[in-house]
Amino acid sequence: MGNAIEKLTGLVKAEHRYDIPFAELRDTQIEAMNERFQARKDAIKLLGHRAGEAKIDTIRSHAEAVPLLLPHTAYKSYPESWLMDERWDRLGKWMDTVSSHRVPAQDRSKVRDMDDWIEQLQAQGFFVSCSSGTTGKSAMLVASRQDMLWCQTEAVATYTWGSGITPAQDRQMFGMAAVAHVPRNLYTGEAYVAALQDPSHERFNYPVPPMTVGGLTQMVVLRKAIADGTAKPGDLQKFEATSAARQKAVDDAVGITAQAVIDARKSKLHVTGLWAGLYNVAKAVRELGYSAKDFHPENSIYVGGGLKRAKLPDDYREFVYETFNIAPERNYQNYSMQELHSGMPRCRAGGRYHVPPWVVPLILDKSGDALLPIGNGEYEGRAAFFDLSIDGRWGGVISGDRISIDFSPCPCGHKGPSIRDNIARYADLEGDDKIGCAGTVDAYVRGVS
Amino acid sequence: MSAAIKDHQPVVSAPFFLRGETVEGSDAQHRSRDLGVTFTTPTIDLNRAVHPRSEVPPLLNVPLAEIVDFLVETGQRMLAADNPYMQECFDRMAATHILPRSVVETTARHAVAYLDKRILMAEVEQNFPDPRALDGWVPKQDFTGRKSFVRAFAPRLIHVLPGNSPGVAVKSIAQGAMVKAVNLFKMSSADPFTMVAILRTMAAIDPNHPIVKSMSAVYWRGGDASVEQVLYRPQYFDKIVAWGGGDAINNVIQYLGPGFQLVSFDPKTSISMVGREAFASEAATDKAADLASADVMTLNQEACVASRFVYVEGSQEQVDRFSEKLQRRIAERAAASGDIRPLAMDLREQIEALMMIDDEFRVWGKTDGRGLVVRSEEPVDFHPINKTANVVRVDSLDDAVKWVNVATQTIGFYPFARMPDYRDRLASGGAQRIVQLGEAGPSTIGNPHDAMYPMHRFVHWMAHEDGRAAA
Repeated sequence: MGNAIEKLTGLVKAEHRYDIPFAELRDTQIEAMNERFQARKDAIKLLGHRAGEAKIDTIRSHAEAVPLLLPHTAYKSYPESWLMDERWDRLGKWMDTVSSHRVPAQDRSKVRDMDDWIEQLQAQGFFVSCSSGTTGKSAMLVASRQDMLWCQTEAVATYTWGSGITPAQDRQMFGMAAVAHVPRNLYTGEAYVAALQDPSHERFNYPVPPMTVGGLTQMVVLRKAIADGTAKPGDLQKFEATSAARQKAVDDAVGITAQAVIDARKSKLHVTGLWAGLYNVAKAVRELGYSAKDFHPENSIYVGGGLKRAKLPDDYREFVYETFNIAPERNYQNYSMQELHSGMPRCRAGGRYHVPPWVVPLILDKSGDALLPIGNGEYEGRAAFFDLSIDGRWGGVISGDRISIDFSPCPCGHKGPSIRDNIARYADLEGDDKIGCAGTVDAYVRGVS
Repeated sequence: MSAAIKDHQPVVSAPFFLRGETVEGSDAQHRSRDLGVTFTTPTIDLNRAVHPRSEVPPLLNVPLAEIVDFLVETGQRMLAADNPYMQECFDRMAATHILPRSVVETTARHAVAYLDKRILMAEVEQNFPDPRALDGWVPKQDFTGRKSFVRAFAPRLIHVLPGNSPGVAVKSIAQGAMVKAVNLFKMSSADPFTMVAILRTMAAIDPNHPIVKSMSAVYWRGGDASVEQVLYRPQYFDKIVAWGGGDAINNVIQYLGPGFQLVSFDPKTSISMVGREAFASEAATDKAADLASADVMTLNQEACVASRFVYVEGSQEQVDRFSEKLQRRIAERAAASGDIRPLAMDLREQIEALMMIDDEFRVWGKTDGRGLVVRSEEPVDFHPINKTANVVRVDSLDDAVKWVNVATQTIGFYPFARMPDYRDRLASGGAQRIVQLGEAGPSTIGNPHDAMYPMHRFVHWMAHEDGRAAA
């Protein structure tokens, strides 16, 4: 790791890390991006290709980093048929083109299935997380052991800043969602437990089997089989039965979780999950006759992700906070994405997401082609970031998010760049009624999502 | 918000057309992603968009011959240099459309070419065993002596138009008029102008003609329940004629029910199949590659008939030679059309990933929008578009049949003599047309489209039972 990178990532626990004006970081960030670039341009094949096309051999400005950013699609560019045909050797070879460290050749005959492949890679130091894309391809993000350790440190440090809670192993943790069983979630989960969970209580286990990468990709594979016309009615029947069983487990979990939370109500709680799951448990808790007054006043919450198309009443947030007695200042929110290993915690005073010094915000025009000049005051654009902490793959990513960023101080007083709490996906904003006669078989596939 | 100011574009007015009258207004503002413009529209007077069932459709008793004459005249007026509506429309399309002006003009001329008396009559004659049923009640008698009259009665249609083709706009007007329908055209945000320009051209010929009184064109954002929930009912319309797939169709489906049916023109992918005969000589390879490039480049690959996957029977060395030639011909055609648009980011990303894995894939050309060919052993996952062809090597074309599916529209085939061997299997797989390679565009006038005779499905078949013939 280069000096500039170390200087910036070394701030992970620094008190003042969100208080450094961008102007003071600018040169170090450029230097750090270039350090990464020099170390990776020959190691990451895709990056080398991109640099060659753009004729860039040194990053000397923020703008020069832009042609080197990779969109999330770069991590799902493998041919899907390899998943169906269990071509682990080929997938390994593909992964090697986006990995910083050489992915060893995979012996196809020694791999049982997707989950086994992931496990074998992990044993060799390659930690593959996979997005839960249900309607399309899953992104496969490779990371190193060093990345996993970073995620552990960063997650807890960011939580501490965003929630104002100093971890003291004095809480009972209640996960209320089936978390995808991918290395990154497992590692950060462990870190949260070590930081927050009261060791004198047994940790609550959410009673639904975890979703493994193999489980996640099963849907993707079936979807492709339907599109190809090779899925037989019996395959669909089996899939429907599995889905129904899983849904039943999720439904049953609501009552079990609600009862367990009620039993633990005298303890200080830390509640996590997705909105839909949290809302359902909250509703069950209310139905059993309990609400805010019965719970500890210092309870805290962390909600991952957005609404994910769940249909909930308008006041679902308030309903959840009020049920578990969550004071507004202990409601931790964090802006991040799968492709980053760092989060941007929301400040309690200004309600804005703060960009840490080791994450370089590169705000692009809507099309994602050009860097917008840094404005005076707040301005809007497509979010792209260079996460200097990432070791196992390239840290420069373009997102699908429309954000409003401000490089001047936040009302909360911190002087680093911050992002308004109105993040939207361009795809949702633009999901217009465009239709044409040309199209793919995707439009003919129903019911696997 | 400097970005917002940077993106600021002039606001364009998109008037509506309601049963013969142009309606101006700027009550609502919309954005067209494809055109990169903001456009304003009046609010829709829904009462005027619906023709009450208590009144017969205005065109019912206008003879088909008169309708066809009016359509032919419309075609001539559309291309006239002094037609302000169409000229404005062409200018705007050339300025904002993703395709260059020459392609837009050719497209418009092709669209107008449909408004030809012989073509229109051939369409009617192929769609209806007895076209007289459009003009009147046709007498029938069965073998038991029972008598009746049958009429292809004028329906009430909503057309949900795609935005990628003026040809569809013209065809929809012509077919809607020939079946004497009351037509409501729902325009797309990708082109909220062309349809109204054509209808205004028609109104300029005769503002009181029943054909003009039978046509309305409006825009609302697809999926807007405040409009669709109200309009999509059998009390107002018989059929909804919709193009496309995905959300556009899913929105419509929820309103279907007894008396309100869907006639769908589905989103399609077209392919090519090239047999080993293409390697009989260098000249044969050249010819096959040239024909394939013509199909790939139909409407610069924006249309559903444009080929995207080319299955080639041969060894890797042969197929690579073909691929190289194909890429060169695509690039030549692209250069000639002046249409150079960089590939979309996600497409570029996927192709570049394949370039990295160079033993299983090979790529000719660059991701710069000047023409590119990817050779693989199986079709790629992405949708090849913007002058991109995926050549898939097969040992035998028999192996390619499994990749034909319900979304396959046209298959360009070489050599032509082998087509009869394949057509049954291709139809069984879901395909709709098999054509000689290089001929993806043209079709025999009046042939089925999307595996049906559309006008036959548009009409409301009405029977008048008339008892038994006297013994």
